[in-house]
Amino acid sequence: MKAVMMGTEAATMAVKLARVQVVSAYPITPQTVIVESLADIIGRGELKAKYLPVESEHTAMSSCMGASMAGARTFTATSSQGLAYMHEMLHFTAGERVPVVMVNCNRAMAPPWNLYCDHTDSLSQRDTGWIQYYCVDAQDVLDSILIAYAVAEQALLPVMINLDAFYLTHTSEPLDVPDQETVDLFLPPYRALNKLDVDDPKTFSIVCGADLFSSIKYKRQGDTLAVARLWDQVAERYNRHFNRLHPTVEAYRTEDADLCIIGIGTATGTMRLAVDRLREEGLKIGSLRLAMIRPFPREVLQRAIAKVKHVIVIDRDVSFGAEGIVAQEVKAGFFDRRGELRITGFVAGVGGNDMTVDTIIPMVRQAISGDGTAVEAGMSLWAEVLP
Amino acid sequence: MQTRTVIKTLSELPTAPTTIGTMVWNQTGDWRYLTPLVADKLAPCAQHCPAGIPIPRHLGAVTRGDIEGGLALLLAYNPLPGLTGRLCYHPCQTKCVRRRIDRTISIQEMERFLGDLATDVTIEKSERTDQRVTIIGSGPLGLSCAFYLGCQGYRVAVLEPSDQAGGALVGLSPGKIEPTVLSHEINRLIRLADIRLETGANIGVAKPGEPPAQADLVILDPTGLSEEFCAPSGAVACDPFAAGSVIGSVVSVQLPKNLTPFKVPMIAHYIAAGRLLAKKASDGLRRKGLEQPAMDRSPLAVSTESIRIERFPAAEMRDKQKETWDREGAMQEAERCLSCGTCNLCLKCVSFCPDASIRPEGRNVTVEVDLDHCKGCGICAYECPRGVITMEDISV
Repeated sequence: MKAVMMGTEAATMAVKLARVQVVSAYPITPQTVIVESLADIIGRGELKAKYLPVESEHTAMSSCMGASMAGARTFTATSSQGLAYMHEMLHFTAGERVPVVMVNCNRAMAPPWNLYCDHTDSLSQRDTGWIQYYCVDAQDVLDSILIAYAVAEQALLPVMINLDAFYLTHTSEPLDVPDQETVDLFLPPYRALNKLDVDDPKTFSIVCGADLFSSIKYKRQGDTLAVARLWDQVAERYNRHFNRLHPTVEAYRTEDADLCIIGIGTATGTMRLAVDRLREEGLKIGSLRLAMIRPFPREVLQRAIAKVKHVIVIDRDVSFGAEGIVAQEVKAGFFDRRGELRITGFVAGVGGNDMTVDTIIPMVRQAISGDGTAVEAGMSLWAEVLP
Repeated sequence: MQTRTVIKTLSELPTAPTTIGTMVWNQTGDWRYLTPLVADKLAPCAQHCPAGIPIPRHLGAVTRGDIEGGLALLLAYNPLPGLTGRLCYHPCQTKCVRRRIDRTISIQEMERFLGDLATDVTIEKSERTDQRVTIIGSGPLGLSCAFYLGCQGYRVAVLEPSDQAGGALVGLSPGKIEPTVLSHEINRLIRLADIRLETGANIGVAKPGEPPAQADLVILDPTGLSEEFCAPSGAVACDPFAAGSVIGSVVSVQLPKNLTPFKVPMIAHYIAAGRLLAKKASDGLRRKGLEQPAMDRSPLAVSTESIRIERFPAAEMRDKQKETWDREGAMQEAERCLSCGTCNLCLKCVSFCPDASIRPEGRNVTVEVDLDHCKGCGICAYECPRGVITMEDISV
């Protein structure tokens, strides 16, 4: 079925199609549309789920964890400050190995207050152990949430699906809504093997001494690393059902490229337009979208741009005292090729600065020539800064 | 049985950091220093009722649609519900738990509704005795005392010197109480307890040492006699609320200071005083009548089992009822009662117990605590909306 939906509506539709059983969330702009519409469809009985109107994001995540431990398919959604407030429970859900799926709408962290797109909120939660996926459009939102449940329930790890504030959450786009029967075939009900059961009590989140601690963490590290491949396998299975592929890494015109722009989120669509424009000028350039940041899809990334000599990373975020977070990740991913590969990092499009073809092209030119308006700060170049 | 598993390889580690086997063996009950006690208790409304009426019981009967049964349960503690339903200051309602949720149950209105019912009940009385009690004055205290003694089988006569029964309640403005209500209430009371009421009685002035009437016991009702009335010299004072029993054959009731002179809104206190006095009088009479065949009487004034419903119209009250609810309205109001103090298996405690240590018990009428595992956190007691669960120190 074709439909026109905002990213938030696509998320709600995916939750409904996934037959989620427990929704626990606290509203925050720009995510509010999701929890409101979920409350509506649950209230109308269109989705047979328990909706928990909680008092905070910390409780939202705690109750999702509890419901998931009891064997329910759970969902929550949040944004920026709300995600930060969940921080403790993010570690907990990942450590407890419960397959919660969450939508995070990427919004700038205060202060100063700003409701617009910025990736610092979710990227600063990189190390909590959550799988992180960054959507490019509304179709990607709908599909990746369904894929996320399949991946999460197989890997027993939580998945965070990230939507750019307003560019994705509040922009209406045409998309294809899969039918329920096919979704049910792709995503059968969640069957927890090890769950809370009052008649067979077990202790969850046990106290553990040094003897087993590192083994438990080592096991989680292995399972998390394996998700990079697992996602692509599940995405391939999804493709067979619905004829749409959502891989961890999406390369564009990189086969013969010397130069490659790398980014995450909705701006990667604009980067392709910039690539097309620059190719007309004879520049051998491509672009690459990192859909997944955790686990970092290192092998696929390396394969995709094995011949590239210069990489430009545009970050909508910053790690203060270092540089753009995606740039750091890419640099770590190409450490083997450190002698032959040049990597230029930009910080741009933060706090709602629009990323257009006309802002991307000057950055590419500055990366090549060294001349431009972006100013240096440590390892990265900042666009959109007062002179 | 507790078995120890040693994990030797990575593949033996569970995916989630949980125990591999059951934890039932871990009897965390010995962490507990306070224990949840699940026991039916007096509801806050009943605790604060001056007449000690277990209010949720008659509200429960009304909820079930057994409205006459509700009246019978009420009468067992309060023989003048139509009067208290209009005059009492109803401390019950200020303590109603429901008040914290939306609004208090209209307990007083319900009393009035039941009191005004155009049907009536009968009470199965104890075996009739030959012992006679005369009560002089027909105020609420005297009538209440007469009611409970009458229900116990004593031959009770109420002598009222004036032409109208009711004592201190006679002559109140019709805004407070209409004469038809007063007569309806008194008529029902004397009919139920089989009391002989004599108005315009000549009680005269007794000679010193001579009882004012021929009876095994004479009780002078302070709510029924004018202040000028002097107790005969042989009368022995008795405070119904204090310890001690009835001595002698003429009792002059001595009320606590807060109840003298008569205060209309405190009517339920006088009714309670009458009931307590009936208990004392009954004990005294039993001692006196020891030579007679023993009578097995319940220490309670009227047991609820002895109340039987019999419908017969009380015609003069039909119009009054229209002022309150119809039967449906009364049922809807009574249904709002949380029946505090009585477990009704709402299972809030079960939902909230973090250790699943409180469950419905076998007969499914209440809940029971798994003391082997209950850590005594007290969440069940906090959450119980009816106050059935309390945390108790049972170590001593």
